[in-house]
Amino acid sequence: MTSTATSIPFRANAAEALSNSPLRAAMRNATETFAKKRTEATASLPIEEWRTQASDTRLRVLENLGEYVDRFSANAVRAGAKVYRADNAESAVSIVGSILKDRAVQKVVKSKSMVTEEIHLNKYLETLGFKIVETDLGEYIIQIAGEGPSHIIVPAIHKDRKQVGRLFSEKLGCEYTEDPAALTKIAKKILRDEFLSAKAAISGANFAVADSGSLVIFTNEGNGRMCTTLPPLHIAVLSIEKMIPSLADLPKFMRLLPRSATGQMLTTYMSVITGTRKAGESTGAEELHIVLVDNGRTKIVAGEYREMLKCIRCGACLNACPVYRLVGGHAYGATYPGPMGIVLTTLLEGMEKAHPLLDATTLCGACGDVCPVKVPLPELLHKLREERVERGFTPYLERQGMVGFGFAAESPQLFSLGQTVARVFWPLAKKIPGLGALERMPIPAQITFGRSI
Amino acid sequence: MTREELVNLFIENASKVSAETVRVTTDAELNGALTAILADTKSVFCQQDTAKEKSVVIPPDKRIDDYTGASVCIEEVAGAIAETGSLVCSSQGGKPIQAGLLPGHHVAIVSAENIYEKLDEYFGALGDSPPTNITLETGPSRTADIELTLTIGVHGPGRLTVIVY
Amino acid sequence: MRVQLFGTCMIDTFFPETGMSVMKLLRHFGVDVSYPKGQTCCGKPANSGGYARESRKAAEQFISVFEGSKDPIVTPSGSCASMVKNHYHHLFKDNTMMRDKALAVADRTYELTQFLVHELKVHEAGLSGKGKITYHASCQLTRELGVKEEPLLLLQSLNGAEFIPMPYADRCCGFGGVFMAKMPEISTALADEKLDTVLSTGADTVTGCDHGCLMNIADAVRRRGARIAVKHIATVLAEGLK
Repeated sequence: MTSTATSIPFRANAAEALSNSPLRAAMRNATETFAKKRTEATASLPIEEWRTQASDTRLRVLENLGEYVDRFSANAVRAGAKVYRADNAESAVSIVGSILKDRAVQKVVKSKSMVTEEIHLNKYLETLGFKIVETDLGEYIIQIAGEGPSHIIVPAIHKDRKQVGRLFSEKLGCEYTEDPAALTKIAKKILRDEFLSAKAAISGANFAVADSGSLVIFTNEGNGRMCTTLPPLHIAVLSIEKMIPSLADLPKFMRLLPRSATGQMLTTYMSVITGTRKAGESTGAEELHIVLVDNGRTKIVAGEYREMLKCIRCGACLNACPVYRLVGGHAYGATYPGPMGIVLTTLLEGMEKAHPLLDATTLCGACGDVCPVKVPLPELLHKLREERVERGFTPYLERQGMVGFGFAAESPQLFSLGQTVARVFWPLAKKIPGLGALERMPIPAQITFGRSI
Repeated sequence: MTREELVNLFIENASKVSAETVRVTTDAELNGALTAILADTKSVFCQQDTAKEKSVVIPPDKRIDDYTGASVCIEEVAGAIAETGSLVCSSQGGKPIQAGLLPGHHVAIVSAENIYEKLDEYFGALGDSPPTNITLETGPSRTADIELTLTIGVHGPGRLTVIVY
Repeated sequence: MRVQLFGTCMIDTFFPETGMSVMKLLRHFGVDVSYPKGQTCCGKPANSGGYARESRKAAEQFISVFEGSKDPIVTPSGSCASMVKNHYHHLFKDNTMMRDKALAVADRTYELTQFLVHELKVHEAGLSGKGKITYHASCQLTRELGVKEEPLLLLQSLNGAEFIPMPYADRCCGFGGVFMAKMPEISTALADEKLDTVLSTGADTVTGCDHGCLMNIADAVRRRGARIAVKHIATVLAEGLK
């Protein structure tokens, strides 16, 4: 995505989210439930050892990413797939668009994929006249609501059952119900017909296996399986860093991804798809097209933020983040929210656009503790804050204040003078816009500790 | 771990993820386990390809060749993983593995000798040219997308019966 | 035993009485406490804001004040201790001499409860306390320094006081240094949630090892008009001295 001059108004978005009490209740419920389930699912297991192994594997891939991508591509082609490399979002969406146009397909069923959100694939395909049907229940809900995901695992988590009920009765013309099971049944019925009549499917992938050219997809509902086994044409869109070396590496990630995401031992379905349907087989697409999206990742992997690309999109850092828990995903104004989202958005979309997101963290470190592949999120967030300062993206007054802090910190006399000035002018200073935080602090002591001993 | 211990571990873990489990050792027991299921349903898809599938007796009026319209799919799956309670469904040998996905009730026959203890054992031996589709199925289809309320049976089957034979 | 006390700028400026409690406590256990002149701030606020140059200035000052001794450096703050122990050496990654000095002071630095438990065994001293006490586990203390058990051992050892664990004790209170000023809406909302969990314990005192958090919690108490005392752990412990 090209960066625009407007930066994301995180603080205003967050303030709006904070005043939305159904949203806050939903976010609290989701994040606390997931965090609790994750804790239970990882207790009494050698989780530290698993995290280290998984992290090492991901890092090994990133250190030679180009080679792994080449190997994956060659093996996927050998298994019957066509592989495309897209340097940016524009090229990725146009590759998908032309595959569909060439096949004269009208409708596409789609299984949840964050990278297709990143490249705004649906919007592009809709302008070309295709009908895109999201088939993950959460994605389907936000699609008919015309919204984006607020959580990378449970995209519609910001909506409560009443809101979903109203949405369904309004958009699908069904009778109002707020029973999740009944709502699920309504969606299932509609989507079953879509699956059976669709001639093309788009999916993402959780992993791509270099040595076999396989795609690995985890789902709970079964929509991923439907998409990849029913229509004759399957287009998989994934970002290049999804590589793992071999199928023998897969179990480490099978153990970590579902546990970190939802606290499950394993998701209900996990499919390993290798190429197209072969002679004598009755399963598999007749055509498999794999679009590998770079969109800035080759640059990231070469720089000091490389470890961000270890991320396997489990969402554990979102659930652990105190800020995310309060404001939800939409406040971040970007595809990826929460701690991983702040880092990734800044790297993908540029400091100019994303710098306000760097304030969306207290640097409490909870995200780093739960990451299954040990992405050093607190460190990366801190590094990006330093870069933001270096590149002049912090407010002028803050910068001047910090210059003053630097002088005072290295000069005890000046420091002491500063304390005196602060005490005297405190009541006045509180009224200066931007210094409202002083209201929440006590008045400096008459005699400092240093002087009182 | 003995074969029977492996079977028990698999059954224990499959039960934990809401699969119904049965252990049988003869064709008669297999058909016994299927009696109630067959009685309750109108249409059953069963390829009757493997030896164990062939020993399943299905009333001719309930047999259906199109799995998209079936209420029940009875099939022998490629294997199972004990540590996770997962079934291994493979496209190898011409199995339409989507047949186990579309009907509301999936009845999977697992040969005891095809149960692996660990994921690593199975995936470590898979090599670089696996069949087109390998799917691990762990319990019935589920979602928690609305308020994290668990709902069983979304796109895939709402009922999963595992018969270890 | 001799130690050098780093009082922290926050205690120096706002909470001198907490500093006095620290002195009293250490002296009670026979420690010869010195308060090296010239100490200012560890640099944490600038560092967490991303101002490397300014935090380096603070770090240089800290190092110059404390490097002349081999005595342990004790500080009543998890975030300041972690700044010295975990962040200083990153600030000097291009300057071997300063990095070595940073690592040397880091090695000597203890957060107060770490020192009280591991060096002085204060948790075995049978101090007295009163009322119902709950504890907020601050972020850098818990996650960067790994100090989780020490404050609990100390609080649980108080005769006459009841320690009540707080749900989500290690959840951020929303202080976050510059975060408090830049994201006041979220900061106060987090403090309000923290106060909810504090009050859910039924305690009459909430304590912790970082005055930044305690100040933020005290503000939530003030805004709500809640009736609960907010005290630094040094004060809680010093009150139990005979």
